[in-house]
Amino acid sequence: MADQARTRPVPGVPPADALEEVPLIDVDGALERLWSVLTSMRLALVLILVLAALALAGTILVQAPPGVAADPEARAEWLNQVRPKYGGWTGVFDALGLFAVFESIWFRLVAAALTASTLACSIRRLPGIVMTATRPHVDVAEAFFEHAPHREAVILREGPTAARQRVEATLRGHRYRIIAGSDGATLYADRFRWVPLAGLVGHLALVVIVVGALVGATFGFRDPDFVIAEGSTAAVPGTPGLSVELVSFRDSYYANTGAPSDYASELVLYRDGAEVARQTVRVNDPLRYDGTSFYQSFYGPAASVRVADEAGTLLFAGGVPLAWSMNEGNRRVGTFTIPERDLTVWVVGTGGPSDLVVRPGQMRVEVYRNDGSATPVDAVSLDPNKPAVIEGLSFTFDRELQFSGLSIARDPGTPIVWLGCTLLFFGFVIRFTVPHRRIWIRISRQGGHSRVAFASVGRGDVSLGAEYARLIEEVGRGPAATDIARGRAATRA
Amino acid sequence: MYKLSEYAFVAGGLSAILALITSVAYAASGLRAARLQTSPAAMTGRTIGFSAGPRTASIGLYATLLAWLAAAALTASLVFRTFATGHGPFANMYEFSVAFAWGILVAYLWFERRYHQRLLALVALPVAIALMAYATTIPSTIEPLVPALQNNLLLTVHVAVAIVAYGSFTVAFAAAILYLVQPEGGRWGLPKPGVLDEIGYRSIVVGFPFLTLTIVLGAVWADIAWGRYWSWDPKETASFVTWLIYGAYLHARVVRGWRGTWAAALLLLGFAATLFTYFGNLFFGGLHSYAGLG
Ligand code: HEM
Repeated sequence: MADQARTRPVPGVPPADALEEVPLIDVDGALERLWSVLTSMRLALVLILVLAALALAGTILVQAPPGVAADPEARAEWLNQVRPKYGGWTGVFDALGLFAVFESIWFRLVAAALTASTLACSIRRLPGIVMTATRPHVDVAEAFFEHAPHREAVILREGPTAARQRVEATLRGHRYRIIAGSDGATLYADRFRWVPLAGLVGHLALVVIVVGALVGATFGFRDPDFVIAEGSTAAVPGTPGLSVELVSFRDSYYANTGAPSDYASELVLYRDGAEVARQTVRVNDPLRYDGTSFYQSFYGPAASVRVADEAGTLLFAGGVPLAWSMNEGNRRVGTFTIPERDLTVWVVGTGGPSDLVVRPGQMRVEVYRNDGSATPVDAVSLDPNKPAVIEGLSFTFDRELQFSGLSIARDPGTPIVWLGCTLLFFGFVIRFTVPHRRIWIRISRQGGHSRVAFASVGRGDVSLGAEYARLIEEVGRGPAATDIARGRAATRA
Repeated sequence: MYKLSEYAFVAGGLSAILALITSVAYAASGLRAARLQTSPAAMTGRTIGFSAGPRTASIGLYATLLAWLAAAALTASLVFRTFATGHGPFANMYEFSVAFAWGILVAYLWFERRYHQRLLALVALPVAIALMAYATTIPSTIEPLVPALQNNLLLTVHVAVAIVAYGSFTVAFAAAILYLVQPEGGRWGLPKPGVLDEIGYRSIVVGFPFLTLTIVLGAVWADIAWGRYWSWDPKETASFVTWLIYGAYLHARVVRGWRGTWAAALLLLGFAATLFTYFGNLFFGGLHSYAGLG
């Protein structure tokens, strides 16, 4: 791509270096220095490798779950968990932010620098590409025809004028554009002159993707752990006015392996109380409504619980998802609050057949006062439909249900990211598969005949070399040309 | 179908081993000829600069034929298995390893045809054989798909595209190894460094867009299945690292001081990253973990 930026195709000088030496846009003083740093390919290379190294650390080292880094207590606890694995390095890795690489200042700085550099590079390359496409460098030194990476000469049995017509006709037949040099002997022919822009588009696409990610991070919203029990309706977080109901949940398993074969949640969406959408959501089949998407993520047991006061008024009735598990006893737990009495209730499921505290079929309620005390006011293991009274309230466990774990997301950056990905892919594919073909031709009289010299830049490319060879053969195939001197040199040094 | 697939796999493995042995014999024959200095300059081919030098042509021909046979047998194995399972070869490490080996063979044969460099086989075939050997250590039983893998078309394309990328990267790796073992200017009748540099570049030109597509399709699928196109899951991060390294390589080839040896070294690094991405399932968890050995 950088071929285009050079003012003169000097044989042997590789394209991109020339680019670094030709300042196309001048900015003053410090800005100029910053600019030259940002547009340096060497820096780009190093930044790419540093980013790769950081990301690699992110795959090799266990990454803390989101939210842990911000909460000092959770962080200390998490670090203790991984300490046996990393030993004395734990503190070092933590200080360097390597347990949350992708949120770390390092990663962000490098990614930002690389994005800026990519943008700067693209801006810098643009004028050169446009220049090469519109006003290419046609006049080249004689030496070019002796040193160019692709070069060949043929002798035609006709005068230079006829030879020139033949060359032009052949190249035009292959859709080359032809520009005559000022000396009357040199021709420049090229094809696909705008393709180098595709490489630029590929680079800019990276900036587009970063923009999309930033838009998502700024204006988007995500709750990956939204739990809801069957029969319950809950407000959709981050989306005022929207609520979701889980009508039912179904799961099925392969008989032979016990692995899940399917699980699905029947969801209904309400906007200000009115139904607006209804769908059975499964893995790979989310419900999308007005920019918000609901994905099936996980599932588990829930308990249908009722709490009534002394007068029989219901203070709570609904499904409580047992969305957490306790390390001790392998039990699952869920929670709800009774604001009227300032109580928090934990609902604990059975740990299995060997659990003597919460036996299979039972559900335990532990009632805590909201004053930070660590001991429950009372705790009772309930059999289905047998109420128990705690703190004057009657607690009833109706039956076991299931809960569904949904991931709820609204990411307005996603379309931008997809646009960037498309540009990235097609930009580079076009850049790689359709090289800009450029040929310089010099026609000179040699006795009664004419000598036609061809030369082209670009690194050794077998298929391009073969294409040039076919073109030249075609030029030499005319009736007047019986005596062809083949002077093709090796296509590479 | 299942049995046929197994037989074809064994046939493919054996052919690949024979192809490697013949390739080694072919390389050795060139070595001897080079030593005896009896080179009659057999450089009559039209592809100038890409002649491999004096070698016993018939041995080389057998090597190539055997490699073709291996590729054909693995193709058959994968096709039979697809019929037996009803989905593409992506559900577990066995299927994916066979597909990877297949990708290497096909990429090698493609570049061999284009550049007439049989000796790439000296590196490419051992990698393919190692993958097949690895596949034999994994139970090849057919298991039903967990829900997340049931999006067939997207997944099939995602993996097929990855296979092409990985195959190309292996060829680039082979070219880089042959490049780096020689002193400047070439030695031992191996392909000339300039040719190897070109082959390395061309394989990345194929592999890089395919890896890009793999990652993008993975992101599309993640968006559909998990509601988030990118979550820094170890496997996707590893493929991102691989992508960055090959991106760095594409730049290294045009930056002074990085060309040649360093660029070739980046190809080795890129291939290491490729293998890390591929085997990553075995040592990191994450959303892709169900694609592991279970
Ligand atoms: C993550 C960031 C980047 C990626 C993935 C990337 C990728 C690529 C790819 C695939 C190519 C080959 C296609 C082509 O020639 O157009 C390329 C070439 C190029 N890149 Fe980048 N690039 C990145 C950043 C940059 C930056 C920051 C600069 C400028 C400092 C830059 C400058 C160039 C130049 C000048 C070429 C042309 C080299 C040639 O003549 O072949 N790139 N890049």
